[in-house]
Amino acid sequence: MQSKTSFFSLVLFKKNISRTWIVGLLEFILLTIIMPIDFIISMAHFDDYWYAESGYTKTAMWYESISYKPIVPFTFVVAILLAGITLWYLFFKRDNYMMHAFPVSRKSLYFTSFISCSIVGLLPLILNAIVLTVIAVAEQVHAFDAIWYYTLVGVVSTELFLSIAFFSLMTSGQIVTAIVFYFIFNFLYTLIEIAFRLTASLLLFGMSESLSGLTYNMASPILFMGSNCKVSTYTTYDDLGQIKTFTHNLDGAGYLLIYAVVAIVFIAIAYLLYKAKKLETVHDFISVSFLKPVFSVGISFFVSMVAGAFVAGLVDSAHYLRYSTRFAIAIISTLVIGCIIFYATQMMIEKTIRVFSAKKFGFMICYTLAAFVAMLLMRTDVFKLENKVPDAEDIAWVGIQSNYTMVFTDEEEIYSVRELHKNFLADKKELRDVNVIYQDVPGSTISFKYKLKNGKVVLRTYSVVDTNSEEVSDTYLSATEPILDYLNYPARIKEHIIGNIWNNCDITDMTFSTYTYDEKIQDFHSSMESFDYLTEKEKLAKNKKVYEAVLKDIDEGKLFITDFGMESFYDEDDVLYNDFSFVVYNSEVPYFSDEETYWDYGWAENGATYERSIYTMLTRDCTNILHALKAEGFYEDDNQIITISEYNDIMGYNDDPIIY
Amino acid sequence: MIEVNNVTKKFGDFVALDNLNMHVERGAIYGLVGPNGAGKSTIIRHLCGVYKQDSGTVTIDGQSVYENEQLKQRFAVIPDEIFYFTQANTLDMMKFYKGMYPKFDEALFKKILDCFPAINPKKMVRTLSKGMQKQVAFMLSIASRPELMILDEPVDGLDPVMRRQIWSLIMSDVAENGLTVLVSSHNLRELEDVCDHVGIMNNGKILIERSLDELQTSITKIQIAFDGDMPALPDNIKVLKSITTGRVHTIIVKGEPGAAEKAIGTMNPLLMDVLPLTLEEIFIYELGGENYAVKDIIF
Repeated sequence: MQSKTSFFSLVLFKKNISRTWIVGLLEFILLTIIMPIDFIISMAHFDDYWYAESGYTKTAMWYESISYKPIVPFTFVVAILLAGITLWYLFFKRDNYMMHAFPVSRKSLYFTSFISCSIVGLLPLILNAIVLTVIAVAEQVHAFDAIWYYTLVGVVSTELFLSIAFFSLMTSGQIVTAIVFYFIFNFLYTLIEIAFRLTASLLLFGMSESLSGLTYNMASPILFMGSNCKVSTYTTYDDLGQIKTFTHNLDGAGYLLIYAVVAIVFIAIAYLLYKAKKLETVHDFISVSFLKPVFSVGISFFVSMVAGAFVAGLVDSAHYLRYSTRFAIAIISTLVIGCIIFYATQMMIEKTIRVFSAKKFGFMICYTLAAFVAMLLMRTDVFKLENKVPDAEDIAWVGIQSNYTMVFTDEEEIYSVRELHKNFLADKKELRDVNVIYQDVPGSTISFKYKLKNGKVVLRTYSVVDTNSEEVSDTYLSATEPILDYLNYPARIKEHIIGNIWNNCDITDMTFSTYTYDEKIQDFHSSMESFDYLTEKEKLAKNKKVYEAVLKDIDEGKLFITDFGMESFYDEDDVLYNDFSFVVYNSEVPYFSDEETYWDYGWAENGATYERSIYTMLTRDCTNILHALKAEGFYEDDNQIITISEYNDIMGYNDDPIIY
Repeated sequence: MIEVNNVTKKFGDFVALDNLNMHVERGAIYGLVGPNGAGKSTIIRHLCGVYKQDSGTVTIDGQSVYENEQLKQRFAVIPDEIFYFTQANTLDMMKFYKGMYPKFDEALFKKILDCFPAINPKKMVRTLSKGMQKQVAFMLSIASRPELMILDEPVDGLDPVMRRQIWSLIMSDVAENGLTVLVSSHNLRELEDVCDHVGIMNNGKILIERSLDELQTSITKIQIAFDGDMPALPDNIKVLKSITTGRVHTIIVKGEPGAAEKAIGTMNPLLMDVLPLTLEEIFIYELGGENYAVKDIIF
């Protein structure tokens, strides 16, 4: 019977349910396996699990388990299955014509379909939540907020993905293409970002590491929701591995609200598309007129841009190219490949290979000109990517990474590094071609990493060459030497390489390895003096004396020196094979690690740390340290000191090239 | 009942319907004929509310068809390719039609079902033969008690006995309930038996639209023989085609047959027979010539 409300048809609803219930049943079975059944088994054997041994309560275990259960990818698949089965008729002429010949409006067809899909998609989630709640009550587990928040995430993601699925299915007359569009729409923003980052990494000065630091944006819900809308837990453990604290959060409620609104918007847009849809577009690649040029130009531009950059990158890898030459190759490749893809997309849209008309040629010329302009804008850095140095007030910290890693949080230091970076970029014309101009000069890289207060990261990496070389120009020196001067300033080395407690710490441990050649085994014996016969106090005093020598060598510019000509410590002639390390400790002041901050390793640590092991490669030039080590008994004979180069010579590693 | 005025429909650059006009009276059985690609299925899809015209109007009882649920409840459609839900049997489809059409007559459906013993109502419709699927479509449509039935190549794939049975069902509904029928078919012989009005389509236009009687009296085949060569016919006799076999001349004359008969009679022919044309012949003569090129025959 036709309902009086014209947006709903009971008979259609029943028919839709009769075809899609199997998806809902499968969803419920899978949810039941991964949640209620899993929880029941866990509860039954709770005392045998590591959870119990670590001091978890059952409630904490439930929170922890729910935080790991995936729901967003699950609803992503369920949504397209439901929408695909329900709107199947749109993709076959016979079905399409007959369904629209029945006395039912598109409004009824659309909203009845959406309601039936929603019910089949949501019912398993709700049932699962009810079952979980019953189990939780029975087990006296008070994790109800997590159960229902998890369900809420599932509900919103189901509705969001259903709306995107309906939208996608309206855009094409081919079911497979429509499903592909569903995937593309969900990943669109990330795909575009990757395309730009990939191109930038291959072409732009200083952006070779653009692909790293990719963060998921709200515009890619499948990627964003999973990590931002969930039950999260935070646990700290004591030294024995027992729980100290356990807290949980219901993350992303605000995002859920936004996604719910987005879902409504998509539902409305998809309905408007359906209303305007011409049914003769069944089997058409794209059935919405305005999407045809968007698809054609979009695909042509992004694919050709990445392909063009790859061509330039390939040529560059075979033979170093100047920046302008590389860009010229990229532009030409982009334009040629773009034209080919433009016509290929036209063939897909028109479903014929006969697309070579004057009109299409005109479109292609317009597209090519637009693509050319876009590439030129990139080349001239109109978007300020190459020259980007973030504003000081936006920066949380800035790091420089070359031979060593330093992170600066102080306002003045941030200002100084920005100035150094700006000075470096001011002379970029020559700097971006150093690999070609100074091919024979040894070199390395330097990175500037800005962590912004909004959580974003700006990372630039540049090739640099040895400033001591006679070949390098004054322009190059004026751009790079100020950076080296800054990094090699002794006070800065102590503060950022040894750490913030460098002048107020105990040296709780110190090791120095010595090597003696044994003719019998034709290899070196390694040994290390551990001073077990000394008291802790005596050891600390001994270590302190060597540490003072370390500071003295730093002051004299002999240790932790950054040098752009050093490709690897192991390639240096005077670097010692002997290992030297020491531990700095202050029980009052937490240690600030430049290295871990720079690489964002903070997540791996639970709580503050008060000590750090410092490892350094000594050279024969570190005379203060070597004298102190000898004086304090870490070694006795100078023969026990050996450089890497000498070690390799004795062992015969330098005689023949190693063939891989 | 059906009014199609100046309807144009383009698919890309191709003009499928070109300023088409068509009129079907209530209670009429209207046969829509035309060569392949003439636009018959296209106009039928407009009448079903599947396609939306680029310009012009398509109305039934003065109401626009497109997206008109109430209006569509009053007519049934049997397209050239019939749609059934996957997994649905005849009874499931009956329930669906019953929900869709308020006047659906279940008793009538069962009565008609009894007339088709070969159909197992519990078997999935999609597994039935093409002919049986058509029969199911007719059962469902007739039981929907429509005021108008739109049929696109309706008896294609049915055996002669079944065709007759289907047509007799429709004709009885026409007689009892005043059902209006719009039918497109290539089977002109069959249409001649059932239609009272005919529209001939070509290149997206209705070339001729009139009652079958009128059509059949507007074109005449006259066989004549003269003693010697045939004299020139008067200018007021419009000859569409002339064939000579020995001394017998067969001419297809357009216009009132009585006037032509009278004029030729004054020329003292040895023999003169006036014969009616079948619908098939009219179709051929109207659309005759290379590539169905329309000659100067439009009334």
